[in-house]
Amino acid sequence: MTERERIEALLNRKKPDRIPIWPFAAHGFAVIYDNLSLADAYTNPEACYHAQRRMCRDFGWVFIPWIGYASMGAWEFGGDIRLPSGEYDQAPMVTRYPIEKDDDVYNLKWPGPDSGFFPVARKFAELARKERLDNEPFNASISSGAGFGLACNIVGLDRFLKWLIKKPGLAHYLINTLSEWGLERLSQQAKSLGTDGVLGFSGGATSSNYLISPRQFEEFVLPSLKSGEKELRALGYRTTYVHICGEHNANLPYWSQIDFGDPGIIGVGHEVKLKTAAKYFPNDIILGNLEPAIVQTGTPEEVYEATREVVEEGKQLSNGYIFSTGCDLPPRAPVENVRMMTKAVNDFGWYE
Amino acid sequence: MATEEEIQKLLKGLHDAVVNMDEVAAQELSQVVLEKDVSAYLAVTQGLASGMNTVGDLYARQEYFVPEVLLCSDALCAGLEVLRPHIKVSGVEKKRQIVIGTVEGDIHDIGKNLVKIMFEAAGWTVHDLGRDVQLHRFVEEQAKTGSDVVALSALMTTSMMAMPKVIEMLRAENSDVAVMVGGAPLSRDIARSYGADGYADNAGEAVHEAVKMLEKLNR
Repeated sequence: MTERERIEALLNRKKPDRIPIWPFAAHGFAVIYDNLSLADAYTNPEACYHAQRRMCRDFGWVFIPWIGYASMGAWEFGGDIRLPSGEYDQAPMVTRYPIEKDDDVYNLKWPGPDSGFFPVARKFAELARKERLDNEPFNASISSGAGFGLACNIVGLDRFLKWLIKKPGLAHYLINTLSEWGLERLSQQAKSLGTDGVLGFSGGATSSNYLISPRQFEEFVLPSLKSGEKELRALGYRTTYVHICGEHNANLPYWSQIDFGDPGIIGVGHEVKLKTAAKYFPNDIILGNLEPAIVQTGTPEEVYEATREVVEEGKQLSNGYIFSTGCDLPPRAPVENVRMMTKAVNDFGWYE
Repeated sequence: MATEEEIQKLLKGLHDAVVNMDEVAAQELSQVVLEKDVSAYLAVTQGLASGMNTVGDLYARQEYFVPEVLLCSDALCAGLEVLRPHIKVSGVEKKRQIVIGTVEGDIHDIGKNLVKIMFEAAGWTVHDLGRDVQLHRFVEEQAKTGSDVVALSALMTTSMMAMPKVIEMLRAENSDVAVMVGGAPLSRDIARSYGADGYADNAGEAVHEAVKMLEKLNR
């Protein structure tokens, strides 16, 4: 089977010949692997696209073109970011948040189509849509937009987290405004992208239990996630890949109330066991969850062994399973470690 | 002059103000401490800091999460601002000092800020370098302040790679300095492989880990 056929089999609830490999957010690693700078992953759509395409071919991975970064929103809504340039940088960093005073929330202007990162993302999508390869089950993605994560990105995390208790009305107002904007953007993107070969995307690092309580998740995060996914389904997108980033064990009862498609693809970090995810999402495909730090700091033998353990667990799931790192593939991970990660899935990932 | 009963009531009030995230009460009660000529040191250690210890326990038990802890620390700071200038430091007891910062390439400082608050509440002098801190700044600040501990924080798998480099630079300058590290991608094994003396899995454990580390290092 080709990589594309393996994913399509899973989407049709059939068992593929082996576990497919789809490392999440590998665009940073791709540009470094291609001898480019990390900034190219965020400024140079052609380079970012071709680097991912080459990387996926070289390693025998599923190719789903991907561009973006966790703190998106700040620049687009009028703040400032700094592109990664130093030896230890990983992704664009916010240097000024667009909401500086509480009242700014009520005067928030929706970004235009050429704000911030949008032109780069648009050019990337245009390029990606031109072709669909035999390792490419989807060649574009569309974000359902989540109000909570975006609010953290444009207010600043610690300030916004305090609002949840001290100014819940203001927090709700901002989340609702951003959700409304997200739905509007979703509908515009849907018109230009269509639905064929397009994967829905959702995710949340700032809503993890490292930061907020399950009760706060239910109140401030869940409603906008639900409405975004509902809109994706209404627009005809069959499947969403959701990246449930970090420690979310206590939030899983809420995540599982959301319709991520038929089936959805549920990506979890190493903090959530694959079988736990499978229990909460019995009708969805599970993706994950090798600890990224191991790929960065482990020896090749340690990476191989850690990957084998993840693959053996994933293979037991009746839902269908895709191998991935639990979060971004570290951009500066040693190539030998990435080879050993791949080798372990190739060695142990075949079904009987 | 306050009676013993009044003093105990004030200390409990300060404790509760921190636990209840009540910045105004923490500030007002701290003023009362000064008006009634109660020891500011006592009010900090057995009132505000004791409240923050309770907060640490609530956080460890997952009854409080980061939003609550941030607001508790605001209440702590509001009280400290009033009381700190009035604390009479005994010449005998040396206060422990720590240099803390999120390493170069990383702007995620929420974890670092929580650790900082825990050290302040425990009575340490904290030299906070902020976030995205150039590596040489840790070395310079430690040398300038003579701090006992340097604490490094990172959230990203790329920025954590700066940690072994800082540790090497610190050791080259002062082989006695104790270094601890923390942050989501770190583990005790990674900390050890980087040459760190200590590792804290979360903010609540950081002070305890630091004290344990210094005892182990005989410092």
